Order: sequence, then C-alpha cells, then structure tokens
Amino acid sequence: MKKALALVMSSALTFSLLTACGNKTEQNASESGGKVKIEFFHYKPEARGTFDKLIEKFEKENPNIDVVNANPPDAGTVLKTRAAKRDMPDIVGVGADTTFAELAKAGMFEDVTKAPELNNIQPSYIQMVKDVSGLEQVYAIPYAANADAVIYNKAIFKELGLSVPKTWDEFIAAAEKIKAAGKTPFYFTFKDAWTTLPAYNALAANTQGETFFQDLNKGKTSFEKGYKEATEKFVELLKYGHKDQFGKGYADGNVAFAKGESAMYLQGIWAIPEIKKANPNIELGVFPYPVTNNPEQTKLVSGVDLLFAISKTSKHPKEAKKFIDFLLKEENAKAYMAEQNALSAIKGLTQEDPMLEGLKESFAKGALVDFPDHYIPPSINLANLLQQLTHDQDVEKFLKTMDAEWEKVKERK
Amino acid sequence: MTVPAVVLFAVFHTFPALQGIFYSFTNWDGLSLTYDFVGLKNYYYLFRDENVWHSYLFTFQFAIVSTVLVNVLSLAIVIGLNEKIKFKNFFRAVYFLPNVLSVLIVGYIFNYLFANVLPLWGEKLGIEALSTNILGSEKWAWVGIVIVAVWQACALNTILYLAGLQTVPSELYEASSLDGASKWQNFRHITFPMIAPFFTINMVLAMKNFLMVFDQVVALTGGGPGRATESISLLIYNGGFQGGEFAYQSANSVIYFIVIMAVSILQIKFLQKREVDM
Amino acid sequence: MAKKTNWVATLLIAVGALFILFPLYMTVSIALKTPEELADSVLSLPVGLHVENFAKAIEATNFFQAFKNSAFITVTTVVLTIITNSMVAYAIARNMHRKFFRFLYYYFVSALFIPFPIIMLPIVKQTSAFGMNNPSGLVFLYVVYGIAFNIFIYVGYIRSIPKELEEAAIMDGCSTWGVFWRVVFPLMAPINATVAILTCLWAWNDFLLPLIVLSDQSDMTLPLVQYVFQSKFGTDYNLAFASYLMALSPMIIVYLFAQKWIIGGVTRGAIK
Repeated sequence: MKKALALVMSSALTFSLLTACGNKTEQNASESGGKVKIEFFHYKPEARGTFDKLIEKFEKENPNIDVVNANPPDAGTVLKTRAAKRDMPDIVGVGADTTFAELAKAGMFEDVTKAPELNNIQPSYIQMVKDVSGLEQVYAIPYAANADAVIYNKAIFKELGLSVPKTWDEFIAAAEKIKAAGKTPFYFTFKDAWTTLPAYNALAANTQGETFFQDLNKGKTSFEKGYKEATEKFVELLKYGHKDQFGKGYADGNVAFAKGESAMYLQGIWAIPEIKKANPNIELGVFPYPVTNNPEQTKLVSGVDLLFAISKTSKHPKEAKKFIDFLLKEENAKAYMAEQNALSAIKGLTQEDPMLEGLKESFAKGALVDFPDHYIPPSINLANLLQQLTHDQDVEKFLKTMDAEWEKVKERK
Repeated sequence: MTVPAVVLFAVFHTFPALQGIFYSFTNWDGLSLTYDFVGLKNYYYLFRDENVWHSYLFTFQFAIVSTVLVNVLSLAIVIGLNEKIKFKNFFRAVYFLPNVLSVLIVGYIFNYLFANVLPLWGEKLGIEALSTNILGSEKWAWVGIVIVAVWQACALNTILYLAGLQTVPSELYEASSLDGASKWQNFRHITFPMIAPFFTINMVLAMKNFLMVFDQVVALTGGGPGRATESISLLIYNGGFQGGEFAYQSANSVIYFIVIMAVSILQIKFLQKREVDM
Repeated sequence: MAKKTNWVATLLIAVGALFILFPLYMTVSIALKTPEELADSVLSLPVGLHVENFAKAIEATNFFQAFKNSAFITVTTVVLTIITNSMVAYAIARNMHRKFFRFLYYYFVSALFIPFPIIMLPIVKQTSAFGMNNPSGLVFLYVVYGIAFNIFIYVGYIRSIPKELEEAAIMDGCSTWGVFWRVVFPLMAPINATVAILTCLWAWNDFLLPLIVLSDQSDMTLPLVQYVFQSKFGTDYNLAFASYLMALSPMIIVYLFAQKWIIGGVTRGAIK
C-alpha cells in the first residue's frame, strides 16, 4: 500500500514538475521583457549578416517584436528534428527542395495559396514550389532565386586570351589551355560534400531530358540510362582540379578563388558575396554551364533559393507575417538581392549587377530549368555519393548505387 | 526515495528504449501523423543496405584500432610515469588534461591542424603522403579520426591504470629485484597480472565508447568523404532525423544495441578468464 | 628505495607530453594572431596580444549567454545528482538482501549498456511533448540518466561503510532520513566528490543530448554554440580559435586549480 501511494505521489510530482517546466518555456519563448519573440530560421550562412541588418531595421520599426536570426549548420536536419518534436520555428527560410517538400506534405506550414503577397511573385517560381512539393496548394512565398553558374576570373581569362566558352568542347579546351599555362582551371572543394552539386546539377539538368523524374517514378527509366552522360562529363571535369581538392572546403575555396588561385570556380552565384568579402577588387564574371555542344539548347539551372513559410504551430503568426511583408518590401528585397547577388522572385525587380551580365540572355529567353537534386530525397544523400565519385571516378558504380538507393527508398515507403 | 527514481528512470530511459523497439516494426517517417505496421520489413532491408554494413565496418575498424592503441599507449605512459622521473606530478596533470576538454571542440582544433598545419610540414619535409589533408582522403580519413580519439581517450585510461598500479604491493618488486629480474620481466610477471582487472575495465569501456563515436566524426569529417567515415550513431542521427527514416533507423538502433551488448559481454567473459589464468 | 632518476623515461614522457600540449599551444597562438600573421606563418609565435579576436568572438557567439547556460546546466545537474542519486544508492545498498532492491541494482546497471541512439529518436518527441526542450529539462535528463552509472559507484562505496554507525544512530532515535543526512552523507564526501567531478565533466562537455533536446538559440550550451556558429567563422580561423579557446578555458582553469583533487576523484571512482 505504501509503495502504491509512493508511486502515485511520485508520478504526480513528476507531472507537476514537467508542467511547471512547460509553462515557463512558453513565457520564455514568447515574451522576453514584454516583447514578442519570433524565430526566423534559415539555411543560408552567407546571408546571415544581411539578415542581421534587415532584422535590426525591422526591430527599429517594430520595437515590440524581437526577431531571432537562427542559422544552424545542417539546417535541414535540425529543422526536421524540430518538426519531429513539433517545435517549429515561426518562420522557415529554406530552398524549394525535398526538405521543404516533406515538411509541406506533413502539414507543417500555413497555406498561403490565397495570400495577396503571391500576386507580386513571378508565377514560374510559384509553380516550382508546387512542383517540388507535388501539392495543389502553395505553402510558401518564393523570395529569391539563384542560378547555377560558372564563376570565372576575368583577369586570368584576359591574360590567357580566353573567351567565354559556349559549348562543352570549348569549355574543356579552355580548361586544357589554363592547365597548360600552369594554372588551376577549377578550384574544387570536395571536403564539403555539397560543393559537388552545383556542377552536377547543371550537367544533369541539361542531359536528363524533360520528363526524367516522371518516367523514373513510373519505372520507365533509370539513373543508369538518364544520368550516364552527366556523370561521365562530371568525371571529365575532375581532371582539371588542384592537388588538395579533397582537403579543402567551401570557405577555403571562396578565399582561394578570390586570391586568383584558379581561373574558374564551379559554384553558383550565391558564392559571389563570399568571394567579394575575401577580395573586394576581384574582376569576376559568370556564364551558364555549357553542357552540350548545342549552345541554343543550353538551359540555365535556376531554382527557388529562398522561400518563406510560416509554421502552422507558430504562436505569433501575425508578427511572423509582418516580418515577411517587411522583407518583401521593394527597398529591403533590393538590399538583400544586391548583397547576396541573388535573383529576385518578386515581379519587376531585376538584378542589374554587371557581374551577372552573362546570365541575362538565359533569363530573357526563359531558358531555365530547376535543380534536379530538389527532386531527390535526402536519404539518398546525393552529395555524399558524388563525393565518393570524385574519389573513385567509377561511373558505373555511382549510377548503380543511385538506382539501388532510389529503389530502397521507394520500397520502404 | 528509490521508487520515484525508478519511475523517472523508467519513463525517460526504459520507456523510450521500448518505444524505439516498437517503432522499428512500423514505417513511421517521424513527421506524419499516421503509420502502419510493417513487421520485420525494416530489419530485412537493413541487412540488404550497403550503407548500414559499411557503417558497421567503419565503426568496428575504428573502435578496435583505437581501443588497442589507447590501451597500449596508456600502459606505456603509466610505466613511464611510474619510473623515478622529474616533474612527475606536472606530467601526470598534463596527461590527464585532454579528459576535461570538449570532444567536439578538440575535433575542430584538429580539423584545422590536419587541413593547414600538417600539409605544410609535409611540403617542407617532402613527404607526398602528408602534403594533403588526410581528412579529405577516402583511404586515410579514418586514421585522422583515430588520432583525435586516441589523443583524447588516453587520459582517462592512463589515470585508471595509475590507480591500478597503486594496488600493487612494492614488496613484490623488491623481491624480484633480488632475483635480478629485468624491467620487462617485472612488467610481464608482476605489473600486468596485478592490474589485469583494470585492463578488463579499460578494454570494455574504451570499446563501448568508441563504438558509439559521434562527436569526433561530426567535427572532423561529417561522415565523408563519400560515406567513408559514417559511424553507426551518425547514420542513425542523419537518417532518422533528416532522411525521414525514423522507423528504419530505429530498427538499426535495435541491432546496434544487440551488437554492443554482445561485444561487451564477450569481452568481459574472455578477459576475466585471462585474469584468472595469469 | 633510493633510486636514481631515470632520465630516459623522463625524456620519453616529456616527448609524449609535448604531443598533448602542442594542439593546445596552437589553439592559443592562433587565437592571438591576426589573419595576416597567420597567413605568414602558422607556427610562428604570436607577436603581441590581439584581444580583438576575443571581443569579436564574444559578440559572434554571444559567449556570455552560452557560458551562463553551460554553467547553469552543469551546476544544477551536479547538485541535484549528488542529492538524489546518493539517496537512491543508499536505499539500494542497505537493502541488497531483499530481492526487489537487488533487481533494481541490476536494472540500473544493465542500462549502462543501452546505446544512446536507441533512445535518441523517441526521447526527442517525448521531451518536447512534456515541454522539456530547455535547460531545465536537460538538467532533469542528466540527473535521471546519471543514475545508472552513479548507482554503480555509490553502492560499492556505501557497502564499505560499517553499519554499526548507523545502528548506533538509530538507537539514539534518528529516523532513516536523519541517519542518512547526519551520518551516512558526511561519510560519503570522497565518493560524492568523484561523482560530482564526473557529472560535471559530462554535463559541461556533452554535445549530442543538447543538440537534440534544445531548440531555442538562447538556451544553447558552449559546445553547441561552437557547432552552430561554424558558418559564421568561415575562414576566419583566428576568430574561430578565439571562440574555441574561450569555450575550453573555464574547464582548463578549474582543472589547473583542482587537478590533484580531480585526478584523485576519478581514481577513486575507478577502484570502486
């Protein structure tokens, strides 16, 4: 009897303890000194400083709101962990990728299909958000787009008498010429697995055909069929790297390219601000990856790089919306695009930066295509498989693994 | 007083463990509101999953090599510290120092050393193998992790062995020095048999800790290059939270639990038998 | 036993000690250099003190906030662990002749072998359902999880305390409660120190549990902050190292002052 009583008492004690904890956090989370606290969680380390400035401005205008700028590494994993905890940040700023798609499907975000904010956004980007999630409703507001492009050092190109390559053959010839001159054509940074993706995405998007993923889901094609060319070309590029390309990471690469250690840098335009930080005077330009020998067909890979979604469980959706509206304001959006060299998803805001001259034509023609890796589930871990490929250069093995992993994910569903 | 403790422990330790076992028979992704029972399907796929095999292989390779190295080095250090040397207390303090440092931060520091300091030396000494970052090499990245793990883990084992040595009566040594025994004979016939129980503890603890390696891998390689250094814990963390494989990785944890139990029990059995035999 | 100093051993041990100290020397020296000095030579001695790295690092990682969190979590965990775990251990140790308590002892000790990942996924959901994804919740988890190992240490020690003392106290009319606090607890001082040290090191340096339990950035502990701000450091290694050094230094300072005591404590834990 005594024991039973003790048991009841102890569990009662536990629960009172826990509820006490629970109440405390709610107060902590939402009101720090009479302010409403909202958490803005995003996955762009390079934009951290820009957001800091914008948040400061916003807090001046809205002294009762305190915005927390949260940007952990492995943001995707952290975000999913928190979704599993049912503890979502108020505003989520990620790309239109599989992480977003899964969270949207799991009903984590507010439906914004009818939001007036969408009227100002370019429809093609709204469509991308729908396509990625495979849903009819829209769960996020596209903000910035990016483009996958080769960044090149104009001074080195001039010195070697090179012009911007338009075809795959010209691209390789240029790399050969740079190598012959004793310089590094591409500064690879394979210590960070994800830095294999920009080049591979461009290669895949331009060679996989229009309906690859639909066919793949129907079982009509395979990576072995559709990705062979892209993978072989990717391996070809590896010949033009540098000695310690497996030991350097993204941050090292930005600094090295800024210092003129390589003629080209296979990244996307998001790397430009970081490069400029390391060397403000660098003369650089960009051009779309010339993947085939038919320049008419070259498509620029461009996707929604940043979208804003409000989580369903947010305790302060009003304030969260206010912050998003603030970011969408022309002057603030302009500030973001300029600092981040991003392309705006907002109608009528064009990127006038002369550095991005090389991409104008693709945008004017609408020769755009979304990132293929936005359609590949993260448990396949494409980046790490590519990192593996950079080591063993075994095309056959890579394609087989991709097919096997794709099968596995499908079977386990 | 014990009852609440037991209840709390059950609620926060045993119950989640049972939950983990329960989920391993479902197909829950960690996010959805619903899930179905799939029986042993997850286990079936686990055994066919190359990534899982690979992570076990890497983790065991890492754990065995590290355990052996740590114990050999610790014993060597202890024997050195036990000789009559200068600044004994200072050295003892130095050798234990790594134990109080955060594993993650130590990992970051070594990450920089591997990337920026060792290659410089390699260049200077003209050793090709050292002139690139070993963490970037598929073949050798695991060695980098071993170095860091051993650097840090020696501290605790050294202290444990030192404690063990204090239990050895000095008369034994006096007797053997009368017999004119060499240092090696001393170690072989007196020191080691006397501290055998400590050897057991050290081997078991070190192995168990190394099998659970996580922090070092996160700080040094993130599981790369490719999946070369993906440890079991990291695979469970990544797959379970990010890859939407909550149930699948729960099944992986169950297997992992069985493996660790089995290894520890085997070790204890085998090593204790040796203690008696010596 | 007057023996001559063994110089060979001294030398070898000294070389080994250099291996231990070198990375720490590097940390200090990089933290004190400017980026330019670092670019010139990685190994050179720092010239002058560049405190601005530290100022920047404090600002970048919100150091004091993280330090406060780490300190709060560690201190509360240690205090609560000693008070609660010692009581539980006492009850178990003095009742080992009863089946139920013997079962409990083995139940706790066998939990030592359960790898954390199996608990990791469910506990994440559980803690947030209970509103425990904050420092207090983390302390609670540490205290509860600590039981398994601490029981193991405590019980061995308590059984070496002679029962006569307690029996005498009971004759004087003390309750069990009184016996424990007035007689047993003071006798447990050395082993309490051991548990305190081990718990302190664990709670201070742990990374995985805070990583999955805490979600609010203002709650983060020092190791977690280093992880979260990796992106902020980029290639500014001096800043990163200043930050690492600050995160490591509280423990190093404590260790310098109390190393004899800490080593002694850990040793006692080992012999038990």
